[in-house]
Amino acid sequence: MDSDLLLVIVVATALAFDFTNGFHDTANVVATSISTRAMAPRIAVAYAAVLNFAGAFISLEVAATVAEDVVDSGAITSNTVIFAGLIGAISWNLATWYYGLPSSSSHALIGGIVGATLAAVGTEGVLADGIAAKVLIPAVIAPIVAFLVGAIAIVCAYRIVGRMRPGPVNRGYRLGQILSGGMLALAHGTNDAQKTMGVITLALVINGTLATGSDPPLWVIISAASAIALGTYGGGWRIIRTMGTRIIKMDAAQGFSAQGAGAAVILASSHYGFPLSTTQVISGGVMGAGAGKRVSAVRWGVAGNIVGAWLLTFPAAAAAGAATYGVTRIFGTGALGPVVVSAVALGLVAAAFVRRARHGAPVAVG
Amino acid sequence: MTPLLASVVDWEALLDTVIAAAVAGVGVTVVFSFAILGAAFFGDARREGRGAAAVGAVMLMVLGLGGTLAAIAGGILVMTS
Repeated sequence: MDSDLLLVIVVATALAFDFTNGFHDTANVVATSISTRAMAPRIAVAYAAVLNFAGAFISLEVAATVAEDVVDSGAITSNTVIFAGLIGAISWNLATWYYGLPSSSSHALIGGIVGATLAAVGTEGVLADGIAAKVLIPAVIAPIVAFLVGAIAIVCAYRIVGRMRPGPVNRGYRLGQILSGGMLALAHGTNDAQKTMGVITLALVINGTLATGSDPPLWVIISAASAIALGTYGGGWRIIRTMGTRIIKMDAAQGFSAQGAGAAVILASSHYGFPLSTTQVISGGVMGAGAGKRVSAVRWGVAGNIVGAWLLTFPAAAAAGAATYGVTRIFGTGALGPVVVSAVALGLVAAAFVRRARHGAPVAVG
Repeated sequence: MTPLLASVVDWEALLDTVIAAAVAGVGVTVVFSFAILGAAFFGDARREGRGAAAVGAVMLMVLGLGGTLAAIAGGILVMTS
């Protein structure tokens, strides 16, 4: 009974994380389309939400990686560990959102789970080979590939249409962004919703509800798809208000190239089961499309912030996950600890939202 | 690169990912750019009364658009297979 209650709390927390993931990443998915005026903000956000939902049904490779290659489900005896990892990831996501810092929801999730596992069972519970092979190395390579693809694509595009009148060319690429933006939203849904599916599947395996190596059940796929889509839609309304001032100015061809590069890298990686940071891949594509036109067009300070956040996210979320596990253990090994922590977390989140609504962001986004 | 890293990372899958992403990302932009080139040429050719050039431009536009849509459909099919 206690373990079933704990499972319900973990599933609800995982879906809450998925919501924050969509909420946090909406800007990445729709910013280029809105910036180039390819789509009206409201339509772009709704379109991204629908395609995030659809993308979650495309593949299960990333879910399998998260469920099987990050931590050893056999060594974890209680879902308190998964709960603590999720709270660590949500804490980091909300803290970076509150302070306007760029960060990766994916690295926060995996970092949180790893930190809580280290605190609970030590290094034997962590599959270091799997993390290195499926998470860390692709995390380094993917944004670089997106940068290069975006840069090469925009150079090719300018070579092909460079002598034409800008009016028809811009209109053409704006229309093209409906396709490339859609593919990017689809790719985002595919890679990011699967991470939550993987975590819920891991919790079901630890609870004994599913056998090790099982695919996520349909209800897990539908609920994860719905949570990320709702988060995308909810997050969109915030960025609509600030979109005019915080976006790097780019032309429609650059927007198309950046979205195409991001979508191609994320979809290819999802096919091979690499759980990427979609934030960093999309940022890489945008910077590549900017640098392909003129190297000085890229705000390298912002790029530096993104690299800094990349380095900080994994250890910070791991520390938060480990600390959360320590707090829950004060209340024993049952469901009481997660119930208390959930109540406190909800109170803190509500306070942060109220404060943010009253005072705005404490620091400017780069 | 340490021997340990070399042994645990599936470099073949990683290389396949990089190649697929590069071909798809650059390829779709190039093909779609030809569609735009065709559309822009068509407008100019029609205004200047060059019928044959207009037909060629339309063909380029249709091929470019078809290639773009085929690449997107192919990508989704590969993902779902």
